[in-house]
Amino acid sequence: MEFLNGIIYDSIYHAVPILLCVLGGIFAYKANVLNIALEGMMLTGAFVSVFVSFKTENIILGYLCAIIACLVIGLIFSFFGVTCKGNVIIIGLAINMSVSAIAGFILQLMKSANIKLSFTNAANFKIHIPVIEDIPILGSILSGHTVITYVSFVSIILIWLLMYKTKFGIYVRVVGENEDSAKSLGLNTNKYRYLAILLGSFFCALAGINLALERMTIYTNNMTTGRGFIAIAAIYCGQGDPLSCAMYAIIFGIARALSVNLSLYAGGAAAVFDIIPYVVMSLVLTLVSITKYRNRKVRGI
Amino acid sequence: MVQSKRKKLLPQILNTLLPVAFAFLIGGIIIAAIGENPFEVYAIMLGRSLFTTKGLLNTLHYASPLLLTGLAIAVTFKANIFNMGVEGQLLFGGFFSGIVGATLNLSSSFQEKIICMFVGMLCGVLFALLPALLKAYFRVDEMVVTLMLNYAMIKILEYLSSGPFREEGSGYVCTTTIKEKAMFRRLNIANSKITAFFIIAVFVLILMIFLFKKTRLGMEIDAIGKNPNFAEATGMRVRRKIIILMCISGALAGLAGAGHMMSEKYKYTLTFSGTTGLGWDGMLVSLLGKHNPIGIFFAAIFYSALKTGADSINMYTAVPKEIVAVLQGLIILFLAVQFIDERYGIKERIGKWKRKEVA
Repeated sequence: MEFLNGIIYDSIYHAVPILLCVLGGIFAYKANVLNIALEGMMLTGAFVSVFVSFKTENIILGYLCAIIACLVIGLIFSFFGVTCKGNVIIIGLAINMSVSAIAGFILQLMKSANIKLSFTNAANFKIHIPVIEDIPILGSILSGHTVITYVSFVSIILIWLLMYKTKFGIYVRVVGENEDSAKSLGLNTNKYRYLAILLGSFFCALAGINLALERMTIYTNNMTTGRGFIAIAAIYCGQGDPLSCAMYAIIFGIARALSVNLSLYAGGAAAVFDIIPYVVMSLVLTLVSITKYRNRKVRGI
Repeated sequence: MVQSKRKKLLPQILNTLLPVAFAFLIGGIIIAAIGENPFEVYAIMLGRSLFTTKGLLNTLHYASPLLLTGLAIAVTFKANIFNMGVEGQLLFGGFFSGIVGATLNLSSSFQEKIICMFVGMLCGVLFALLPALLKAYFRVDEMVVTLMLNYAMIKILEYLSSGPFREEGSGYVCTTTIKEKAMFRRLNIANSKITAFFIIAVFVLILMIFLFKKTRLGMEIDAIGKNPNFAEATGMRVRRKIIILMCISGALAGLAGAGHMMSEKYKYTLTFSGTTGLGWDGMLVSLLGKHNPIGIFFAAIFYSALKTGADSINMYTAVPKEIVAVLQGLIILFLAVQFIDERYGIKERIGKWKRKEVA
């Protein structure tokens, strides 16, 4: 029972950063901008939130600065990618590399391998709901998580509403699906691309804050370890639909939780279990592609 | 035709130099912000690695794996396939060439080296083949798969080097040092580190120039990159070409890993390919060289000079050597954008402005 509880709790714990990244990336995907800078934006959120909290001993300021920094990165990405029409894949990679390099540069200047907050610890961020907390499985699903965890699950519905029930969502999809007809409607296509990307960077900031500040109150460089790329894989699998993309993000969380919990019993081979999430996502991506193109008889790639 | 090519050359060179200049400008501001003199830092960084005989030869030595990874990226990027797994392929190739180099005991050192390099290439090909097959037969996005498999590969090698293949009795995680027969000896010119591996890398580069310019496959890479549907319609088997290209890319990356193992590292450690990773460096090299082998040659030397210069920075100034990684990211960022439209020459452009002013 404890094992099961552990896995359920960890699944949610590990799903959250990916889920937020996925929710953020969906709009850019729908606007036909492939945003692989998700990874770098998440790292920015993680670094700035911990760095600012460390310097000022003010958590709220850390949250705010992380969001602002991510929006700035989002603006840089959109300026180069949308206004200057550069290759978004290369820009995304450049941002990923620059962010990790700048964070490493600052860590070197501070002469330490990581930034650790001494005035608070991760337990302070957890919200325990009375009564529900003590119910076995439901307790680990609903209680003992951080603020952003609850925000992320509510956001699934909000993003779904924004995507399908508002003008903004429809316009973004039109811009992505057919730019010419969007222009003929008099839409400012660049504006919608900018907004889609900025929405993504906002959610990535939350993911970063959750990853570094809320969960561990510690920043080590490159702590995102490919979560942004896994989010992109999840978006590809769900083809941009908020509900199914979120489902794939949660599948990743479960894979991660399994790998973490199983490796406790594995001893020396524990490192091998770390590859489970990446392999699971590759498999899922393959399966989705197979089913998507099964009935298509057109030649070519 | 010749004239139009010449007209294109100047904007192309400007488009390469401007991003570097911008990146250095921003890097300079960062250096100034922490209270150092940027000109002095840059002078130390490039001066020592380019303008002394020993420094230049060392730069060439470190440029050899970059040449190969740059080519590995160029082969696929040119055809609009994004093999981001060069880093993983390089590590995989390097690791197993190291294992073979440490265990195999042949009488001839020449054969030993050949086998080690072959194993490296084979591993690179195998690791590239998986995303290639997925892409060709199931249309799985190769970029996402290769990006994720990199992490999986790093974890697997971490396990292998700290578990089954760990050198007993060493204080940190590493594999057994390869046999002397498998090592590329230093050529002992001006006391530098340069080895025969540089010559091999240049030889491969010449082969690739031939492949790009003179063979059917080179033409097809161009065609697929420009329009895959048209390429398919004219009867090229795009599917098979994608698999071939990914295999070439994997082989180059694997060879780079094997060479790095045999000429520089001699054993696999967790920091085998350095801070940014030789595979990622290859991406910068290829972009900077505009996916053109000759461009890649100069780009590799330039970037290698930056990297070797980073060590001098660490020694002689107070600036952390991570500044080079920052510069690298910024250069790639600016390279993604075309500052000057390459379709027109500079002269025509000025003429256009003048005409506009008159109107």
